[in-house]
Amino acid sequence: MTIVSTHNLAVSRNGTPILVVDDLEIDSGERVGIGGGNGSGKTTLLRVMAGLEKTRPGRIRWNCTPEQVTVVHQHPWLFRGSVLSNVEFGLAARRVSRTARRRQSIEWLERLGGSYLVGRDVNGLSAGERRRVALARALAIEPRLLLLDEPLAEIDEPGIESIGSVLARLGDTAIVIASPTDLPEGFVERTIQLVAPRELRNP
Amino acid sequence: MDFLFEGLREAVRLIASGDPQVIDAAGRTLSISLSAVFLAMLLGLPVAACLARRRFVGHRLLLILFRSLLGVPTVFLGLLCFGLFARRGPLGPLDLLYTPSAIVFGETLLALPIVVALAHGALASLDPRIPETARTLGAGPFRRLLTYLSEARTGLILAVLTAFARCSTELGIAMMVGGNLKDRTRTLSTATALETGKGEFAVGLAMGGLLLLLAAGMTLLVALLGKEDQKNT
Repeated sequence: MTIVSTHNLAVSRNGTPILVVDDLEIDSGERVGIGGGNGSGKTTLLRVMAGLEKTRPGRIRWNCTPEQVTVVHQHPWLFRGSVLSNVEFGLAARRVSRTARRRQSIEWLERLGGSYLVGRDVNGLSAGERRRVALARALAIEPRLLLLDEPLAEIDEPGIESIGSVLARLGDTAIVIASPTDLPEGFVERTIQLVAPRELRNP
Repeated sequence: MDFLFEGLREAVRLIASGDPQVIDAAGRTLSISLSAVFLAMLLGLPVAACLARRRFVGHRLLLILFRSLLGVPTVFLGLLCFGLFARRGPLGPLDLLYTPSAIVFGETLLALPIVVALAHGALASLDPRIPETARTLGAGPFRRLLTYLSEARTGLILAVLTAFARCSTELGIAMMVGGNLKDRTRTLSTATALETGKGEFAVGLAMGGLLLLLAAGMTLLVALLGKEDQKNT
């Protein structure tokens, strides 16, 4: 089943086109990479798919609710407070009981090799640890469309392995990954190559 | 010098023994200032949030207006409120002149620009990823607003404390629209001025000392919060 489809997408900022994409379809459970050079619009495409950016002209259709789509930014923002309160954030928004969300959050951190982060405050976390917490927070809500912007940058070798194996076992969740180069070979089933709009105009 | 030391000793005795006159003025100062700051937060926070999040015609002008009102003399605000609440003034029929409510009104006007300017600074400097992250994790508008305010909480608390420090130590409004009436509108600042004028230096010093403690306490809290905020960034 197609989870997200786009038609003739274009995004401009201050009159300058920053993303141009033809028709695109992503199915449930599919793992799709987005490649392309600097300025090709990888992050913008993720933002459009997350509903954070408007496309004009063009059309995007989701086969799921907005609550089932989430994104992990290239430099993820962690809310003030503890690691656990961050991982629990999306579950709290879904009114999951306190006990259940605490248990699920700890489980997700453990799966991503971050059990040692339970009980820590977000202050003082390294860039890789922050990314791991943000990933656990996104995975905890069990999205149907997971958008990851360079998810493994600044993460160590064992971390990449544990995250890769967790992402590979997500079943029905469609994963779209910008710059998936750090992931094990064969992890992404296909890669969409974007071309910077400026190169389209001046080939 | 003896005069000063004796006054100081007597002031300490009055505060330590819980002199009813001093406690009464301190209690009224607290309740009036807290009410004014609460009202200023109620009115000012939405304005600050709107100025921080939206761009509209007159946005810059409004921001400059609130910033320029930060240093407004309290005696001028007192005069303005006197004009409003005087028998022949537009709010005269409410019969609020020389009541604590009139002081609360005036101090709300005093606190409002402080709350708007400082809260705007705190909210405008928030990272744009905050509302986006909350939204993509499924937070509804109310939870997003709470998250937004919570991320700016140090700056917002600073705004409250600064407004409270200014309201609790001001003299102009309390004197002009409060009238310094015993058991009704006497605050620490008006009592300090009155007692000193009457030659009751020790009582004046006791009242002034409490005001100083209040202001010093607020400054200390502001400094501690500023440090905490630096640690979090």
